[in-house]
Amino acid sequence: MNPFDYSKAVSDFWTAQGQALMRAQEQAGKALAEGMKAAASGKIPLMPAMPADLSTGAGELAGASKSVMDLWAAATSVCAKLATSVSAGTGGDGIVEATFRKMVDPRTWMGGSGELDEALGRMAEGPRFADLWEAERRYAGVLQAWMNLRRRSLEHNAVTLEAWLQAGRRFTEQLAANTNAADAKAALALWVETANRELLETQRSERFLQTQAAMIRATTELRLAQQDLVEHFGKQYGFPTRTELDDVHRTVTELRRELREMKRQHTPVTQQPTRRAVARQRETHT
Amino acid sequence: MTQTGTSVLSDAAKIGAKILTGGQLLHDLRDSDVQIATTPKDLVWSQDKVSLFHYRPLAPQRVHVPLLICYGLVGRWTMTDLQPDRSLVRNLLNLGVDLYVVDWGNPSRADRYLTLDDYILGYLSDCVSEIAKRAGVPRVNLMGVCEGGVFTTAFAALEPNRVNTLCLTITPIDFHADTVEDRLGHGFINIWTRSLTPEDVDRLIDANGNLPGEFMAAIFNQMSPMRSLLKYNLDLLEFVDDEQRLMNWLRMEKWIADRPDHPGEAAKQWMKDLYQQNKLVRNEWELDGRRVDLGNIKMPVLNVYAKDDHIIPPATSRALGPKVGTSDYTELALAGGHIGVFVGNRSQTMFAPAVASFVEKHDVAAAKSQG
Repeated sequence: MNPFDYSKAVSDFWTAQGQALMRAQEQAGKALAEGMKAAASGKIPLMPAMPADLSTGAGELAGASKSVMDLWAAATSVCAKLATSVSAGTGGDGIVEATFRKMVDPRTWMGGSGELDEALGRMAEGPRFADLWEAERRYAGVLQAWMNLRRRSLEHNAVTLEAWLQAGRRFTEQLAANTNAADAKAALALWVETANRELLETQRSERFLQTQAAMIRATTELRLAQQDLVEHFGKQYGFPTRTELDDVHRTVTELRRELREMKRQHTPVTQQPTRRAVARQRETHT
Repeated sequence: MTQTGTSVLSDAAKIGAKILTGGQLLHDLRDSDVQIATTPKDLVWSQDKVSLFHYRPLAPQRVHVPLLICYGLVGRWTMTDLQPDRSLVRNLLNLGVDLYVVDWGNPSRADRYLTLDDYILGYLSDCVSEIAKRAGVPRVNLMGVCEGGVFTTAFAALEPNRVNTLCLTITPIDFHADTVEDRLGHGFINIWTRSLTPEDVDRLIDANGNLPGEFMAAIFNQMSPMRSLLKYNLDLLEFVDDEQRLMNWLRMEKWIADRPDHPGEAAKQWMKDLYQQNKLVRNEWELDGRRVDLGNIKMPVLNVYAKDDHIIPPATSRALGPKVGTSDYTELALAGGHIGVFVGNRSQTMFAPAVASFVEKHDVAAAKSQG
């Protein structure tokens, strides 16, 4: 597989995943509708068969996944070539050499963008909830949002991986042309410079920014879907919800604001009109 | 054994000794050994989570109008007093400046509805009043840093009669001027913020309440990707056996780790009104229904920026010059980057003296005009 042309593999992967998700949603929706119909007629509804729904299209997903794995294999192959370009004995600096080997490993690159992903993940992935059927719609919402986040995250990581492959290619070319970079320290410096430039250029690209924005959007939607589910349980069991707490906090903030203003009015030290006085003045003039 | 073989063994032995010494140093150190912001000061006023501190003098007072340091809500003011030999605070005190600093505290989810209006025309305004009252002066000197520079700029434009001089440090004014130089690796936050829609920002804050400090840390780390990868291995290995350098590094790490969450509603204003819509430089920004007109800044202004600032590119700061309503406008360009302004070796001998000289010069004028 050509390591620089993997868009088709990624595209196939998304298509298959999207089809599987749509089938799963369709069946889940059907089960939900039947359940509601049964409940309305006074019968006990049956649990929807979610596992079977999600496994639909697993073969296509596996196929698409294999293509992505082929791409990954190509990337690691490039990594191996880069790592062997620095002789173990040259320069005698084992630590530099080991660091170099680690840094040309594509996993490190994926980890670079993974830091943001991880930070987002920590915000997004709260406690897990049992799939009580009463909350099925919300749970499905969470699942959908989670799958979307995985997809967006992988899309973004693919852009980063592409940057790594490009950096690897440039590095190899420069290494071949630069005999001074034969020892580990010089090779590391060259790699850092080359990779840094490539990644910084990538970060400014429309594609990187768009996939990153999509990932942030997906993380946000997952968190909101999780909150919706939690609020459902909160209301059911009489726990205070995030919305209720936010209402309280908003009220407290507004009360503090008014209190500060009242204090200021009783201890006038400013030469300018007070905030509220200005607001009143504006109202009078409009 | 060949000469090359001996050299390899010798190098390996040196590195081994380095690791052993460094390992022992790190083993013996405790977090409490790594102290930052140690210059003595007293709490003189507080409200909600906001605290105002007054520094104890280290030299005879030469400037009568007090100077208030105002950092932003991204990061903390402790950068201005990182360690005794790299401290803007100490340098200013040694030059006889009467110095205050405001600490915004640690905003939690309960503070998500605080706005920039609250911070600028509420807390900052009250700090200025308190300082003026304590010093018995009608107006004070303001020194804003980064986002705090935007706070002081807006305050000076809205309350010009309460500000004696305005000193800005690494402060963005034109949030779209990152495109002027368009240097690789510079202005990523500007580019990143513009890649989001206003609705994205609203949803992000709705989902998280605040703008989490760790989220911003991840964005900052993206700005120097390879440096971040080397930081805890090769970079650290360079000086791990040098106690002084190791301590310097650990103090910086401590400051970096202390990244408070940015209150949600204030973050929406910061990202949408300023980074996305660039309202400040266009004189379109409003706080409490009052328009921030930079032309109202008629007091003397000293604008300090860093030539290699990749977070606040110089052009975004320098945009203030043509907008202010005073001819007494000076720029000071310092070598280095965003943080180098405070901890760089050359800054220690240039930055504080320039600020002290600036406030002292206008201190005399202020005293005469009052007398």
